[in-house]
Amino acid sequence: MTDAVALLWPPFLVALCLIGIHAYFGIQVLARKVIFVDLALAQIAALGATVAFMLGHPTQSAATYGYSLGFTLFAALLLAYTRAWSSRVPQEALIGVIYVVAAAAAILLIDRAPQGAEHLKQILTGNILTTGASELWSIVPLYAAIGILHFALRKHLTEARSWFWEFVFYATFGVVVTSSVALAGVLLVFSFLIIPAMIGVLYADTLARQLALGWAVGIFASALGLAASFAFDLPTGATMVCTFGAALAVAGAIRPFLRGGARGAMQGAATAARWALALVLVASALQLMIAPRAEQPLLNALEYAMPALRSAYLNSTEAGVYDDARDYAERYTREADQLNVSEARSRAEGEALDDFAVQRISSFLKSYGEMRKGEEFVMNEVRGRARERVRWALGAVLLVAGIAIAPGVVTRCFSFYRIHGM
Amino acid sequence: MRVLYCGVIAVCVALASASLAQERLRVVTTTTDLRSLVDAVGGERVDVTSIVPANVDAEEYQPKPSDALRLKDTRVVVRVGLDYDLWFDRLLAQATLSQSNVHGIWRGGPGYVDASANLAILDIRGASVGPSDGHAHGSGNPHHWLDPKNADIITGNILEVLARVDPQNSPYYEANRIAFLQRLEAKIGEWTAKLAPLQSRPIIAYHNDWAYFARRFRLNFAGFIEQRPGVPPSPSHLAELIRVMREQNVRIVVRQPYEPEKDTRFLADKAGAKIVLLAGSVGGLPGARDYISLFDANVAALLAAQESQ
Repeated sequence: MTDAVALLWPPFLVALCLIGIHAYFGIQVLARKVIFVDLALAQIAALGATVAFMLGHPTQSAATYGYSLGFTLFAALLLAYTRAWSSRVPQEALIGVIYVVAAAAAILLIDRAPQGAEHLKQILTGNILTTGASELWSIVPLYAAIGILHFALRKHLTEARSWFWEFVFYATFGVVVTSSVALAGVLLVFSFLIIPAMIGVLYADTLARQLALGWAVGIFASALGLAASFAFDLPTGATMVCTFGAALAVAGAIRPFLRGGARGAMQGAATAARWALALVLVASALQLMIAPRAEQPLLNALEYAMPALRSAYLNSTEAGVYDDARDYAERYTREADQLNVSEARSRAEGEALDDFAVQRISSFLKSYGEMRKGEEFVMNEVRGRARERVRWALGAVLLVAGIAIAPGVVTRCFSFYRIHGM
Repeated sequence: MRVLYCGVIAVCVALASASLAQERLRVVTTTTDLRSLVDAVGGERVDVTSIVPANVDAEEYQPKPSDALRLKDTRVVVRVGLDYDLWFDRLLAQATLSQSNVHGIWRGGPGYVDASANLAILDIRGASVGPSDGHAHGSGNPHHWLDPKNADIITGNILEVLARVDPQNSPYYEANRIAFLQRLEAKIGEWTAKLAPLQSRPIIAYHNDWAYFARRFRLNFAGFIEQRPGVPPSPSHLAELIRVMREQNVRIVVRQPYEPEKDTRFLADKAGAKIVLLAGSVGGLPGARDYISLFDANVAALLAAQESQ
C-alpha cells in the first residue's frame, strides 16, 4: 500500500495542476466552440520542436522551446485572425486542417532523420505515471502566472471582442497545452480540458460555479483513475481517460432526474432500457435461428457468467466432451507456461540448456499451442452442434421474451384482440 | 606497340569488371543485421541493401514507394520472420503484382529466406498472427540474431538460397561463410569471458529484446518496463519492478536508443541504477557498424557500466 501511495501521489499532484488550469480553459473553449483547438496547438508546437531537432538543437534546449513557442504563437495569430473569417465555414474546420497539416509536415520533416519518428512520438505521448516533483517545479509557476494573467484580464479575455485579445487567449492556451501534452499525452490532456468543463457547464450557470464543479469532478475522477490503474494493473493514462468518460456518462445520466422531475425521467429511462433489451433479445433470436454456428454474443456472455446454463442444452455426452476439451486446453496452457518459465530461468541460473534441449522445448511449446487450438476447436464444434439442434426452440423463446419486454407491444396486441376478436 | 597492348588490356579489364559489377546478385534484407550477415556470406559478389534504417523500430516500419521499386531485379530477399517484419508480406505481394521483373522472391519462392527457419525459438506463447503455411507456429521472441551462435543457422539459411539462385558462385559463398563463422567463434569466446563478471548481476530492460543475448551470455534479465509493445507500464507493474530492483540490487537498466528515455530514467532514478544504451541492431550505436562490432559495442557498453560502479 505504501508503495502505491509513494508511486501515485506525484502524478496525482501533476493531475491537480493540469485540471486546475485546463478546466478553466475548457469552459472558454466550449464557449468559443473550438473543441479540438488543443490538438491543433499541441501538434503545431511539436512541429516547431521537430524543426529545431532537424536544425541540430538538442531536445530539451532553450532553442527547441523557442521554436515550439514561435510556431504556437504563429498558430495563435492565425486562429485569432480567422475567428470570424467566414460565416459559411465553422472555425473548427480550419482547426482540423491545422492539425492534419502540422502532423503531416512533421512526418515529412522527420522522415530522413534517424530516430525521428520516436522523437516525434515522445513529444506527443507523455506518461503521467512517470512525472514527479521536477515537472511540478516547472509547470506550477507557469500555470499560476497564466492563471493570474487571465484573472486580471478576465473582462477582455472572456468577451474577446477584438482579435488582439483572442490572440492573447490562444497564445497563453498554446503555451499551457504544449507543456501539459509533453507530461500527460494528447488523450489525457483533451479529457482534462473538455470533460470537467462539460460537466460544469451542464450543471452550473456562473463561471465560478462551473469551475468549482469541474475541479471537484476532475479531482475525484483522477483519484479514481489512478487507484483503478494500480488495483487492476492497467496503463495509467488510458485508465484515467476512461474514468473521466464514465464520470461524464454518470453526470449526463443523472441530469434528467435533477432537472425535469424524477418520475418522468425514471419512466423515460425504463422505456429506453426495455427497448434496448428487447432489441438485443430479438437480434440474438434471429442470429441463432439464421446462423446457429456463428458467434452468439448474448449466449456466450450468459454462459460465461453462468456456466451451468450450458448444461441446459448440451446432452450428457456433449457436456463430457466439452469439459474434457476445456480441461485439456487449460492443462496445455499451464504446462507450456511452466516450460517457458523454467527455460527462462535456465538462461542465467543453474546448468545451461544446450541448443538441442532448447530446440526440443521450442518444438514442445509449438505442439502445446497446436494441441490447445485443437481442443478449442472441439469446444466450439460441440457447442455449435448443440446450438444448431436447439436453434428453433431457444430462438422462439428469445423472440417471445423480446417481444414481451418491448414497451407497449403486448398491451397493443391485447387491445387489438379485444376490439377485433370479439 | 607496348602502349597499344596496355591500352587493350586496360579496356578488357574495364569491360570485365563492368560486366562483373552488373552480375552482382541483388539481395534485399529487411534489417541492417541481416544485411551484414548477407555481406559476410556474399562478399563482393552480392549487392545487398536493407529496407529499415538503423535505429528505427522494424516492427512498426511503414514501407515507402521506393521500397517496392527496390525489389525490382532483386533475386534474393531475407527477412527476420516470427511476425517481426509483418509489413514485408504486403510489400512483397505489392511488388510482385505491380512489376513484371520481380522473380522468385514471393513467400516460399526460390529466392526467399526466412532467417528464423530451423532456429531454437524462445518465449513461444500463443499463436502467430502472420500468414502461415498451414501450421500454427507460436510466434515466439523474434530477436534471434542477438545470439551470435544463431548466426551459424541464419548464414546457413542464406547460403542455401544464394547457392540455389547463383550455383556458379556457391563454393565462394561457402568459403566466405566458414571464414566468417571462424572469426565469430573466436569473438564469442572473447565476449563470454568479458561478460563473465556480469553473470550474477540482474539487469532490467525496457523491452524483452534480449532473451537470446541473455541465454548465450548467461545474463539475468530480471524484468522489463514495457510488457506489451506500445502499452505504457501500469503503476503496479512499476512498483513491482522497483521492489525487485531494490531487493536484488539491480544497478543496470538497458534501453535501445529509439526506446523512450523518460520512463527508463524514472525507474533508474527511483532505484539508483544506471541507464545503459545497447544497440539491438547494426547501426544502433556509432560503434556497431556490422554484425561483429554490434556485439563489441554492446559488450563494451555493459562493461563500462559495470566498472563505473
